[in-house]
Amino acid sequence: MDRGWWWKFGMIVAVTLGTLWFLVPSYYSLVVMDRDQRNNLALLQERLPKWAPPAKYRLNLGLDLQGGIHMVMRVDTKTALQKRTERRGQQIATYVADKKLGEVTADTDPEKLQLTLKAKDPATMDAIEKDVLSTFGDFKRISRSGDTLVLAPDETQVNRFREEAVDQAMLVIRRRIDKWGVAEVDVRKLGTDSIQISLPGRSNPEQAKELVGTTAQLEFRMVDDTNPQFFAQMLQTTPAPAGSDITLTDEGGFAQLQSPSREALLEYTKDKVPENRQVVTECIANPMKKNECSSYRTYLLDKAVPLTGESLSGADASVNQMNEPEVNISFDPAGAREFEKLTEAGVGRRMAIVLDDNVHTAPNINEKIGGGRARITMGRMGARTRDEWLGEAQTLALVLKAGALPAPVTVGEIRQVGASLGDELIKKGSLSALVGLGLVVLFMALYYRKAGIIADIALLLNGLLILAGLAFFNATLTLPGIAGFVLTLGIAVDANVLINERIREELGNGKSAKAAVDQGYDRAFWTIFDAHVTALIAGFILFFTGTGPVRGFATTLIVGLLASLFTSIVVTRVIMTYFVHGKNAQTVSV
Amino acid sequence: MQILKNKTNFDFIGKRKPAVFISTLVNLAILVGIATVGFNYGVDFAGGTVVELKFNHSISAADVRERAQKGGLHDVSVQNIGSADENAFLLRMGGVTQLTEENAEKAKKAIEALGNMRNVYADLANGIINFRSATPMAAETIKKAVEDSGTGVQEVRILGESQAGAGTDYQVVASGMADKVYSALGAGLEKPDFEQRRVDYVGPQVGKQLRNRGVMALLYSMVAILIYVAFRFDFKFGPGALLAMIHDVIMVAGYYLVSRREFGLTAIAALLTIVGYSVNDTIVIYDRIREDMAKYKGKPLAEVINIAVNDTLGRTILTSGTTALSLIGLLIFGVGEIFDFAMAMLVGILVGTYSSVYIASPLTIWLDERAAAKEARHRDEMPKPA
Repeated sequence: MDRGWWWKFGMIVAVTLGTLWFLVPSYYSLVVMDRDQRNNLALLQERLPKWAPPAKYRLNLGLDLQGGIHMVMRVDTKTALQKRTERRGQQIATYVADKKLGEVTADTDPEKLQLTLKAKDPATMDAIEKDVLSTFGDFKRISRSGDTLVLAPDETQVNRFREEAVDQAMLVIRRRIDKWGVAEVDVRKLGTDSIQISLPGRSNPEQAKELVGTTAQLEFRMVDDTNPQFFAQMLQTTPAPAGSDITLTDEGGFAQLQSPSREALLEYTKDKVPENRQVVTECIANPMKKNECSSYRTYLLDKAVPLTGESLSGADASVNQMNEPEVNISFDPAGAREFEKLTEAGVGRRMAIVLDDNVHTAPNINEKIGGGRARITMGRMGARTRDEWLGEAQTLALVLKAGALPAPVTVGEIRQVGASLGDELIKKGSLSALVGLGLVVLFMALYYRKAGIIADIALLLNGLLILAGLAFFNATLTLPGIAGFVLTLGIAVDANVLINERIREELGNGKSAKAAVDQGYDRAFWTIFDAHVTALIAGFILFFTGTGPVRGFATTLIVGLLASLFTSIVVTRVIMTYFVHGKNAQTVSV
Repeated sequence: MQILKNKTNFDFIGKRKPAVFISTLVNLAILVGIATVGFNYGVDFAGGTVVELKFNHSISAADVRERAQKGGLHDVSVQNIGSADENAFLLRMGGVTQLTEENAEKAKKAIEALGNMRNVYADLANGIINFRSATPMAAETIKKAVEDSGTGVQEVRILGESQAGAGTDYQVVASGMADKVYSALGAGLEKPDFEQRRVDYVGPQVGKQLRNRGVMALLYSMVAILIYVAFRFDFKFGPGALLAMIHDVIMVAGYYLVSRREFGLTAIAALLTIVGYSVNDTIVIYDRIREDMAKYKGKPLAEVINIAVNDTLGRTILTSGTTALSLIGLLIFGVGEIFDFAMAMLVGILVGTYSSVYIASPLTIWLDERAAAKEARHRDEMPKPA
């Protein structure tokens, strides 16, 4: 055997061992561990032997295989836009009156999202139009006839507003699901106004719909700061349970409990606070991942909810004269009265802004605030850059708006597979794949004898390579994916058939065994290459344009075709060469 | 072992004219069928709700249907899935939410009857009714009024006072069809005797988007494959491969049309796989034709193709055979979509093998003859009579 052959052989052995090594986490997660532990990456990492690859390189099972919920929520930006347009209309009417330009009434068309201004005196309309259009730059003129001016929101503004509404909804949904404690949840934007959510292992779509689909609850509640050391004393009296990871922190003189687990905090503080008080946690964002909480800390709040987001009429982030970011909020008349009362009684205390049972911020009340407009000046800049600081103000404004101006979300799509059904499908799916594979393997060995067995070895390696490849790309194995798996094996068989038929043909032409094998491979190569590349083209296009199950299918197809190119052209040839050249065989068994 | 002991010499190409004729006829029939009858679109594409229920006692599909009808579900189709003793059923309904045009009218009337209402307008796509009330209302009152009119309510949202000061805005979100199924079938029972195993729920707009994306994916890959073939082979091979591809896709679409199997995302995946398989097969034959063209210089193309097809006949039978063999497991044990996929693939393999010989090759021959005739015309500098 020449050196080149040994190199190739060594490479194949290395690839095979690497493949097996790479499948260790998948083997643990799918075979060794229990079904309900399957999605727990931390546990998997713990169980894995030291030498195994990291747990994240494991084969994911699609929701269709392990059970779970897939939802697409549509953000109803239309309703939000309609409300916004209406609010603008009122602002314009007030502006016109204030500037003594005349008097107009504003009306919004709920379907076309257009604003119709009607002037009391048609003669004033010219001046009004000029002034309004230059002042309210986010509107453009649609038509004008006498006393009526029709305006529409500017396209770019509308798009920005839409985007913001979807971001806002995503933020709220993410927080809510985190609270539910689902591992491996996936929330992402889908198209322009939809959000896609995957909840593996969950089986109650109604609960999911309720959790995700209801409007955000925004509350303004007073912080009980009568005893700033309340939590410190609690920890002194009753030590935190072992393993709960509860520590004491200090936030501007107020003691707080902190822990990476929200449940641990709530469990520990349960029954340890006065009747009319409640412990609510704040999420401390993970600096690496914006939408995740690295830990939680406690606040002691009044149970009473004097004011909710329904009273809020607007929230915007801006920068004040001191160059500090701030959030301006405004209330409706009833809310303004309540807010005034609240701030009057609470000067010097903190007021918590609570969204969906999560304290977002707790600014200090410096003075009584009347008139329904308030400013929340962002806290100390600290180590944050100005951009981060401003970003935080914008997030707070978003959160406030989420309660105030609901761009309601509705269910666009829900797919739920019960865990029991998932298991059944996995059994049947793998059974059918195995039966198919077994039949082909048997047939090849019978039909091509030794060459068939070589092809079978390549085929098995091919199967392992596909699984390892999927694990490496962190792809998800779905039901159509299993179909793709079977199909790719079919194509790999085709490659081997092509090669073996060629070898037979060459032998039939009276060539020697060596020459027949070499010629067979050389001649079949381009055919196999072309056949694979065309299928790959289909696979890639499927991958980039498809969604969900189609994508899963495409991933398997792509990985499988690449693996098949390697196994059918390289692996079988190396083995074949060993028998023909190495053993100097005079005949080939095909 | 060998399937074909000796070299065959069938005259495949000689029968190309009747084959092309029959294929064209079948293809046209399928296209007409798609245009007139249409596919049995699955929830993926048509939008709607599919609920899979598993009962804990034996019950027939007819009984389930009867119970559904008693519970007020009239446009529901009940289909038995799995073996009969599994007692599992698929219930399919048109809508996603309970808000249909008809329901929305009733709900609107019920809301208007509550008092001084403005801007009552139903957003059917999202299952929402928006309205403005001059006087503040309790969410419970609204919910009851709408539910009494026959529409399930998931949530009543109070959007707040309108800026114009003309009242308060409300939004009624209708509940989904799955809720309706659950309550209709569980009506009168203390505890439901079934388990809800799967809910698929796709809004009509989402469905439309999915369908368009699927069809686009199909077209894109066809074009990309055509470009690849035109580069790798002669130009005259390109159109043949494309036509064979279209032929195979239409034939498999025909399977979905005739069998009334659900045409959804998996069907698109099947069609795309067929595109890949069809071209795969065509290319293997083309490859041999090209090789034989060099070998038998001077022979007419039709004859060369015949030799090539005969030479590769063993391989063709084997490949189709083994690929079909790998599908057998899916056909026996595959459930639902997987079975349909395997069946469509089987049809695709058969027509894909056929089309390489009878669709792709004749077009290549025809293009070749045309090119030759053109060349001859140029040589004679005399236009031939048509």
